[in-house]
Amino acid sequence: MRLFEYQAKDLFKQYGLSVPKSIRADSVDQVAEAFGKLKPPVAIKSQVLAGGRGKAGGIAIVNDAAKAKSEAQRIFGLAIGGEKPSALLLEEAYPHNSEMYLSVSLDRGDRAFVTIGAMAGGVDVESMSGKVIRKVPLEGIDDRFAAEVASLLKLERGQASQFVKILLSLERLAREKECELAEINPLAVGKDGTLMPLDAKVIIDDNALFRHPEFAKMHPEDEFEGEASRQGFAFVRLGGDIAVVGNGAGLVLSTLDLVGDAGGKPACFLDLGGGAQQERVEAALRLVNRLPGVSRILVNIYGGITRSTDVAAGIKTVMAQGGAKPLYARVSGAEEEEARKMLVGVPVKLFRTAPEAVEAVVKAA
Amino acid sequence: MMLPKLGDPVIVQNITGRYGRLHTKLMLDYGTNIAAGAAPGKAGQSVEGVPVYDTVAEAAEKTKAKASVAFVPAEFTLSAGVDALEAGVKLLVIITEHVPIRDELKLVQLAQSKGATIVGPNCPGVIVPSQKVKLGIMPAPSYRPGNVAVYSRSGTLMYEIAGQLTANGFGQSVAAGIGGDPINGSTPVEWMDFVQGMDETKAVVVVGEIGGDAEERLARHIQKSGYRKPIVAYIAGRHAPKEKKMGHAGAIIYGNVGTADSKIKALSGAGVKVAMTPSEVPVLLKQALR
Repeated sequence: MRLFEYQAKDLFKQYGLSVPKSIRADSVDQVAEAFGKLKPPVAIKSQVLAGGRGKAGGIAIVNDAAKAKSEAQRIFGLAIGGEKPSALLLEEAYPHNSEMYLSVSLDRGDRAFVTIGAMAGGVDVESMSGKVIRKVPLEGIDDRFAAEVASLLKLERGQASQFVKILLSLERLAREKECELAEINPLAVGKDGTLMPLDAKVIIDDNALFRHPEFAKMHPEDEFEGEASRQGFAFVRLGGDIAVVGNGAGLVLSTLDLVGDAGGKPACFLDLGGGAQQERVEAALRLVNRLPGVSRILVNIYGGITRSTDVAAGIKTVMAQGGAKPLYARVSGAEEEEARKMLVGVPVKLFRTAPEAVEAVVKAA
Repeated sequence: MMLPKLGDPVIVQNITGRYGRLHTKLMLDYGTNIAAGAAPGKAGQSVEGVPVYDTVAEAAEKTKAKASVAFVPAEFTLSAGVDALEAGVKLLVIITEHVPIRDELKLVQLAQSKGATIVGPNCPGVIVPSQKVKLGIMPAPSYRPGNVAVYSRSGTLMYEIAGQLTANGFGQSVAAGIGGDPINGSTPVEWMDFVQGMDETKAVVVVGEIGGDAEERLARHIQKSGYRKPIVAYIAGRHAPKEKKMGHAGAIIYGNVGTADSKIKALSGAGVKVAMTPSEVPVLLKQALR
């Protein structure tokens, strides 16, 4: 789960990391009020999870209340990566000479957490040169570890001691809150030499959330994503018109590729999970039937632990209730022939292979 | 890595749970010697005729089993995994989905210090058709004994591709689901080295997906080590959006890291034939083995 910047900065403060003075605003009226409490110039920042916010125009620096209001109006209406903000963060601009980068993150390939530091910030970490990368032990780091990173970055003494404190806090946050990523980019070097985190990016390990109830309900939930998650489906909205449903993440992912290659536009990714029974198939079909923009449904099931006959029974029930969108299904594997017999007379187009089903559903546009 | 042979004893952890029971029966039906189960507080019971012990240690002592399949809920997987590794289990198959990353890393470190192998978590397990060894939840009818090694980050995609291989006359020497999480107990590179030393394996099928850099690392390893057996790969997720978890915890593109294009390019550059669809896999395999 990725936190919004204002949530990540609240977490930073809990861990003793100072950030510039800021106020969150949920409406244009609140922006005007917040602006009055801050010392200009003030940065107005869109609170979206998508990357590339600055480039997309999601940040504005303003000096007066009128400009704050007009920019807030603009940014509230600006979708970044398909996402409009439900809040803005107003923050006192921090005058600085240079920018650094610092993070603690999971290195999947090395199967370890690492800290990455660099003397340049604000840009993508992949494109940075002169990075210092050190493996972080699971049990945490000490002053000496942090001081070594500071010296590898060739920080002068005054800054090194500030840096050590920041890295120790960031590592403790990442460890205790079980983050996949805790990143300060940029870490500004102020005109007086003070190090100040200007942006905060935190991604919590979803699978560890049961140990961290404090993060429950931190996001405004999309109605459909909320229902899918309560049903235990893996679900992602994609904006097209063909709902793609299947059993198994890899199989559904591969079906999206087939649809995309054939020129179709998936409306969603829905993975029923292993061993799905009739009720779950029904719940999934009902959910995608209601999803805005969906004009037809593609079901791709490889029967194994999931029984084809359970899938067929689910399809039959939903179609019998009427009002369902046109359904194209590839049902194969265990009990395939029985499943086909069950669907005789049901208005669903059946196919033996995934490519055949995909071709038909895409052509039906 | 040591895979069990025909008749070797195997333990099932949390054998009394719903999935433990169901799959104990299916593994026994396949011909695998499920010799004991472990479930705290359930000693003295039996599941499908398999005796149940309170701890893995007792189960391992009574049966001399070196392999275990764990159907333990995510929040208890770390402690169950530690119990198994401490009890001398050398091949630990973890089926469980949603295990926290830090728990996975702790298990990987412990396994390394004990010289043990973990398969998973979040995987369908391992099957060796010629030995009637099925350690996991894959549907048996998709598999036949043969000479192609298959390993996959996705479960159903592995069943689908194994099924198509079988239908085209390619049986499998071993098929393993390495798991859909960001951390894999055993990595594609380790699996590649393992099957390289397996005489009965004549070709390898790699099923990857978006997220991380496991396939890029594999490509570098293939080039560096001068790998000799023909390899066919399939990578799912060419049309997946960025920054979205596509079902698997590990199937996510961050920035430019983890795209299907990067993986396909890396593997092609290492001489691997990359299929664009699952049904193209047997076609490319036929060409590669010609």
